[in-house]
Amino acid sequence: MNPYGYSPGDDEDGGTRGEAEAAGGGPDEDGGEDGAGTMVRPYTITRGRTAPERDDLTLITVLTTALDPRDPPGARPRPGRLQPEHRLILQRCRHATALAEVSAALGLPVSVTRILAGDLVAQGLLLARAPLTVARASGGADLGLLAAVRDGLRRL
Amino acid sequence: MTTTQAAPAAVKILIAGGFGVGKTTMVGSVSEIEPLSTEEYLTRASVGVDDLAGVDGKDTTTVALDFGRITVSPELVVYLFGTPGQERFWFMWNDLVNGALGAVVIADTRRLGASFASIDFFESRNIPFVVAINCFHGHNTRTAEEIRSALDLDPRVPLLVGDVRRRAFSRDVLLALVDELIEAAAPVG
Repeated sequence: MNPYGYSPGDDEDGGTRGEAEAAGGGPDEDGGEDGAGTMVRPYTITRGRTAPERDDLTLITVLTTALDPRDPPGARPRPGRLQPEHRLILQRCRHATALAEVSAALGLPVSVTRILAGDLVAQGLLLARAPLTVARASGGADLGLLAAVRDGLRRL
Repeated sequence: MTTTQAAPAAVKILIAGGFGVGKTTMVGSVSEIEPLSTEEYLTRASVGVDDLAGVDGKDTTTVALDFGRITVSPELVVYLFGTPGQERFWFMWNDLVNGALGAVVIADTRRLGASFASIDFFESRNIPFVVAINCFHGHNTRTAEEIRSALDLDPRVPLLVGDVRRRAFSRDVLLALVDELIEAAAPVG
């Protein structure tokens, strides 16, 4: 299920700023033996963290890349150390994408994706848009929203 | 180029029901994308030991979530989440329900009992829902009234009978839910 064949050694390149990442170059290339990626304990990717530092990243929080450190000149230098998964998230979220979709695309569990996305939000590289509030306790969804959903469904 | 366009707002609708009743099928029939699947790790720490009774000797377990998407407009996207059918995973529904507009409970007339628990769940949490009787197998020999009575369904809860493989039926089920929500939200008068 993990198409990116993550191997734990990949995350030590944080200092090699400017190293050609060759966008689209294969995260798979050094993925090791068949299926090796799936053997990695999921929380290895998060350096042992099992809970996000923020709890507001829900399944349908929409993520949008604010700044990809690989962007051409003018961009700020790459802050911190980004792991391959972080870069994949930034690549994926150039078009607004819900957390659940990012998780599915990367073949990573939601909880792991949430932690990694949280890192990027904390660094200002990723913007998070919270879902609309629809809880009854807070007055429920507004009529305008519901009408828009109804109209959209009718077009199906 | 850095993305600067505003992100769309997102809402979700849950698709619930017993195992194998057609949840993912319904997601697939209305979704603009092939249903995606992701998984969530659950740990004893996050759920309490009692909840994992029956998952012997494991500290973590995984639950698959299937979901699809309907882009209503550039500003609004509806996500449909098939909820895990197994009762022992229901403790995680609190996460799922958070921020949901409402739910669809799919039932199969041959195994109505499999959907009781879903109905109880949404009723007890005061989450709006509709019931879709799925006739995959063309085996429905019961009237809507009989089914309603067998499910002990509140008369106000919409119940539709059809085939969730058909996009038009699945769309109508979702519309019935949204119509209910609109009615409930509209000012009295």
